[in-house]
Amino acid sequence: MIPSIDFIQPKNIEELLSLLNNFPDESCIIAGGTDIIPGMQQGASRFKKFKRLIDIHHLPELKLIKVEDGVLIIGAGVTFSDIIKSSLTQNHFPLLTKAASSVGSVQIRNRATIAGNFINNAPCADSVPPLLVYEAMVRIHSFNNQYDIALKDLLLKPYQTKMEPNEIVTQISLPILSETYRGEFYKLGRRQGVAISRISIAVLIDIHQSRIMDIRIASGAITPIGKRFPELEKFARQKKLEIKLLKELARKLGKEILITTGLRWSTPYKLPVVQQIFFQLLSNITK
Amino acid sequence: MSHVTINFMLNGENITVTTRTNYRLLDILREDLGLTGTKEGCGIGECGSCTVLLNGRAVNSCLILAGQIESASITTVEGLENEGKIHLLQQNFLKYGAIQCGFCTPGMLLSAYALLNENPNPTESGIKEAIAGNLCRCTGYKQIIEAIQKTAEEMNL
Repeated sequence: MIPSIDFIQPKNIEELLSLLNNFPDESCIIAGGTDIIPGMQQGASRFKKFKRLIDIHHLPELKLIKVEDGVLIIGAGVTFSDIIKSSLTQNHFPLLTKAASSVGSVQIRNRATIAGNFINNAPCADSVPPLLVYEAMVRIHSFNNQYDIALKDLLLKPYQTKMEPNEIVTQISLPILSETYRGEFYKLGRRQGVAISRISIAVLIDIHQSRIMDIRIASGAITPIGKRFPELEKFARQKKLEIKLLKELARKLGKEILITTGLRWSTPYKLPVVQQIFFQLLSNITK
Repeated sequence: MSHVTINFMLNGENITVTTRTNYRLLDILREDLGLTGTKEGCGIGECGSCTVLLNGRAVNSCLILAGQIESASITTVEGLENEGKIHLLQQNFLKYGAIQCGFCTPGMLLSAYALLNENPNPTESGIKEAIAGNLCRCTGYKQIIEAIQKTAEEMNL
């Protein structure tokens, strides 16, 4: 059973920020609740300190999806189902649509929010690899402050971000890319539906006259938290697109992952799989 | 113990309930209102046996807190019958052998109902996706999918 807890639904963001400012350490923001409610139900230690849930799922300010000055803005209360249905996401950020479609079940997607996905920062968060390759910026608000931070800089370690207890995410923005970018999102779970990711990768490539002008690679479930691979990306840029290069990139990605995770019991199985998947992804995108 | 008073629409009727803040929608339905058609399986959003409709969308009632349903419209399996007659979808679940122990059935029905409301002509893979969050350990899914397909066909006649 969920422990006895106060529940507050602020009328607007101003009231929310002031509530949060008054009791930052005891308050937990809840939107979709698909991580928090089962977590509390099972007595997860990371939710034990909270005495108050502040619900934001009903706030209309947080539910918008719109394009403004070449940037897609997604409110923090937007659910995965909203993202899947949005033609703006489908047209400009197909990897995000694909990842959103692979989250949980219809029931979960109807409640779970994209912001909740990365604030919870589980290693298996499906939307994180696409958000990283699309270079998502996150807008953070507190009672006295407001700033934007790149998602890659916000994520700290599994189940932790750099956010302060009195801060909330209000929106995510994704700069719309030129149409020459191609990409893919891959997820491997133990079954097709309602599966926790075991392996997830997102990759975006911009090729011009058989040369890699830009490449962005992000991992999900294969590293402790979602991350980009700047050295590998730098290595690949300006190189001529050929099978030999793709194979080398796959080998190097495996090495970088090994450096990040260290040798695990699953390494002999996972590493060759990751390398092969990454090679196939690159081959499919560039063929 | 904290309490909350909520107004919402349940199966077409406006109701007001004062309940505990740590109660989930599932607890309100079963404990406060005695509507035991909605089942608790896993309690963590994986099995789908507690599925109900919230504003027409399928949701797990074990993942929604009391305070979050203020002003919402909720449909449970009890709301599928009309003037004492079970819904065509329920009739077809019976007719095509889609029920054995019946524990998953209410949730399965509501996931299917939400699907048919949104898409009266779903493909087989569309049906599978719609019920991916509903686990059945008895009959298997073949009969369930068939019952949903037949319902779609009959509704489109």
